[in-house]
Parts: sequence; structure tokens; C-alpha cells
Amino acid sequence: MPELLSPVGSFESLRAAIDGGADAIYFGTEQLNMRAKSINSFSLEEMEAVAQICKTHGVSAYLTLNTVMYDHDMQLIKTVLRRVKECGVDAVIASDFAVMERCREMQIPLHISTQANVSNVETVRFFAQFADVIVLARELSLRQIDHIAREIKRQDIRGVSGERMRLEVFVHGALCMAVSGKCYLSLHEQNASANRGACTQNCRRPYAVRDLETGNELVVDNEYIMSPKDLCTLSFLDEVIRSGADVLKIEGRGKSADYVYTTTQCYRQAIDAVASGTFAADKVKGWMEELSKVYHRGFWEGYYLGRKLGAWTTSPGSAALERKVYVGKGSNYFSKIAVAEFEIEAGALAKGDTIMVIGRNTGVLKLSLEEMVVNGEYASSARKGDLLTLPIGRKVLKTDKLYKLVTNDA
Amino acid sequence: MPKLVQYRHRCIGCAVCCAMQPRYWRMSRKDGKATLLNADLKKSVYVLGVSNQVAEEMVEVAEACPVRIIKIF
Repeated sequence: MPELLSPVGSFESLRAAIDGGADAIYFGTEQLNMRAKSINSFSLEEMEAVAQICKTHGVSAYLTLNTVMYDHDMQLIKTVLRRVKECGVDAVIASDFAVMERCREMQIPLHISTQANVSNVETVRFFAQFADVIVLARELSLRQIDHIAREIKRQDIRGVSGERMRLEVFVHGALCMAVSGKCYLSLHEQNASANRGACTQNCRRPYAVRDLETGNELVVDNEYIMSPKDLCTLSFLDEVIRSGADVLKIEGRGKSADYVYTTTQCYRQAIDAVASGTFAADKVKGWMEELSKVYHRGFWEGYYLGRKLGAWTTSPGSAALERKVYVGKGSNYFSKIAVAEFEIEAGALAKGDTIMVIGRNTGVLKLSLEEMVVNGEYASSARKGDLLTLPIGRKVLKTDKLYKLVTNDA
Repeated sequence: MPKLVQYRHRCIGCAVCCAMQPRYWRMSRKDGKATLLNADLKKSVYVLGVSNQVAEEMVEVAEACPVRIIKIF
């Protein structure tokens, strides 16, 4: 069965990916990765902790080093790759030849990023001299992927390690209108280079088409003419797996831990269902309901089924059915009785509410408030300034955040 | 005198400042981040006193920085 690869942009997401059942995670450090602008980024010093946590849980860790590289980056690339070696990160994901060459010299396993736009078996063979895994272009159909996978077997194309080349495909998450993410829109509009990790998501805004001579605006049926819906392959994941993909990747290093947890868990269960022959429509329905609750811009099947790009978002931001409202933070943890105390800082909670705790040690915990202990006494509600105690098996830290889950009416 | 300030630790090395005003900015070959030339390091931020004219020229650079770490005071 293929490997499930989840995005990680924080220690909270890392925990969420592990709990959700990821086989591997990918992450970036500060610069030189396509989510550099994202506030969720690890420092070079934190690389060791990420690698260590992954090793403890038997999860592989891959570092993204996949931006366009300039001459002034060469020393930094060396520094980062030395850290990769020291920390035991399992592989690097890159598209620049300088990084590929350096990885080969330093004998660091390499995955070719989707930025390289690999779309045929000859290119796979070319990159085999540097890498072991190819992240295929997102624009391929399942038939094309199937052909490449068969040819790799038939021609016995092997990577640097001597093992047969493996193929990775995106199964879930944001898509963009640019071919393999090579977009100039942010740079053109705001001088922010998407290819240096500073995408400002201009494509996600509504646009109008105006006749400059008359000033008349053309009526377009959707103003979000450059913003595709998110990729979701869950309903045909059995076909994706049959096409010969070895690694299934979820997009979203810039997204929150609850997104990572839910998407990872759904795809884990779906992969396991395909493996056991129990993948069926009723299960897909359940998973789709779960996926709809976390961040997404509406779903479509991507290019895999050979359809033209025709599914555009119709509103800004997320179409998630649920949203988190910040309520408070962890204030104490009583290890002997496994009880966590939270300080309510905003809003209010009542019996029956669904809450979510997110933390680097707790990961993502979704709970229903069946019973409430507020300021040491049983109660039916809690408000700002109150202390809420809950039985939680994992140590809650002061950096843990408590949210109330509400239906998203927006 | 206006002050040009850079919160350098948050720089992602996109190089836009250097492309727009190479007389004031260099990309460091050591860590790939932008360096504000001749600036003083004060409490983890880099500060350079500049003329009113330069401060005006730098407004465009500050607005172009995708992580908004260049400020003019």
C-alpha cells in the first residue's frame, strides 16, 4: 500500500499528523521553501526536535528545500543540508539542480519536487541519477500516471539508492491555476515572489473584466476566475492507488493542526479500506462529511480523471462547515489525576458544546462537554475569567489553545 | 532623522529589497537573508538613520517586502 505523507508547519500539526496515522511528514525551515512566508515555520534549530519526534513514532521526515535558488543561497543550502545529515532527516524535497547536486555529493536521499513538473517517464529516468522519489506534476491524469508507473517497472528504472523509482502524487489540498505552482502573479502584483515562498494568493480574489473604452464591465458568472477549488481524491482513492502511485501527499503546511489531523485520518482510513477490500460508497460519504468540516474551498477531483479545469471557488476563504472560536488557553495540568485546567479568556462555553484542544503535546483533541467543572465546582456554563477543568490523558501545556467548534454560517 | 528598521530574523531571503535598492541592501552569502548595509544592531533589529529623501524611496521597498519586516520611523 502507498505511503501517506502529511504536511507539517508546527509542532501541533506534527502531533496531529502522527495521531492521524501519517506514514511520513514533510516540513520546511525558515527560508528556501514554498511556504516561507507562512507564519508556521520551523527554525533550523528545531529540525532536530522534528526528526527526533518522527523517529520515536516510526514516521519518516522530509525537508522541503524547493524554491528557486539564487547564488547567495548556496552557503545556506550547505548549512541546511548539514543539519539534515546531523539530525537524520530522511530526505530532502527539491527542484533546483544546485540542491540536487549537493544532495548527491552529501549522499542525502532526494525527492524531486512537483515544482520540477515531471510529466513523462524519460524525465523520471533523467532524475533517477539524483533521486529516489518523483513528485509528479499535478496536471497529469490517472492514465498518464499509470503509464509512467508501468514503464518504471518495465524498464526497471532505479534511483540513487538502487531501489526502484517511486512516484508521489497529491491527493488532497489547495491547487493553484499555475502549472506546477510556477506562478508570477504575486510578483507581478505585489513584488512578492511565489517561487521564493512568498505567494500572496492574488489568484484567490474576485476579479472583474472591464472594457476600457466604454467602462462597461463584462458580466462573468463567477468573479473568482483564477481560484480553483481544492483537490480531493478521496472518492476515487482506490483508482489513484491502482494507478501505481507509491506516495500519497496531502497539501497544507500553512494550514492548522485540525486540518492536518482530519485530512490525515480520513485518508489513512481510506488507504486501509482499499487494502482490506472494504473501500465503499457509504464510507466515502462519512469521510467526505469529516473533510467538509475543516478548511477547504470546495472540492473537485483535479486533473486525474481527465477533466478540464472547471471548478472555481465562489466565495473568499474557507467553505468549511465548522469553525473554531478561540475560548482560552491551558493554565495547569495535574498529572496524577490526568486533569487539565484551562483559563477562559474570551466568549463562553455551555454544557453540550463541542470543544477542541490544540497543542504540541496534545495534538488535536475534539471533545464534547458532557460534564463541566468550573472553578472547582460542577456547572453548566463558563465565561471569561473562569477556570475550566477537564479529564485529558495527555499533558496539556500553557501553550495549548482551547476552541469552541461552531457551525460556519458564513 | 528618519530611521530605517529591519527585523532581520524574519527575513525569508526573497531578495526584493536588494533588487529595488541595491545601494542599501545586500543578500548575505552566509545565511541567505537581506542585510541592511551600515546598519546598527539594536535589540535584535537593524537600524539605519537615513535622509528624508531616502526614507521616501524606501517606502516602496517596505511595501514590497512580503513579510513586512522593513519599517520606516
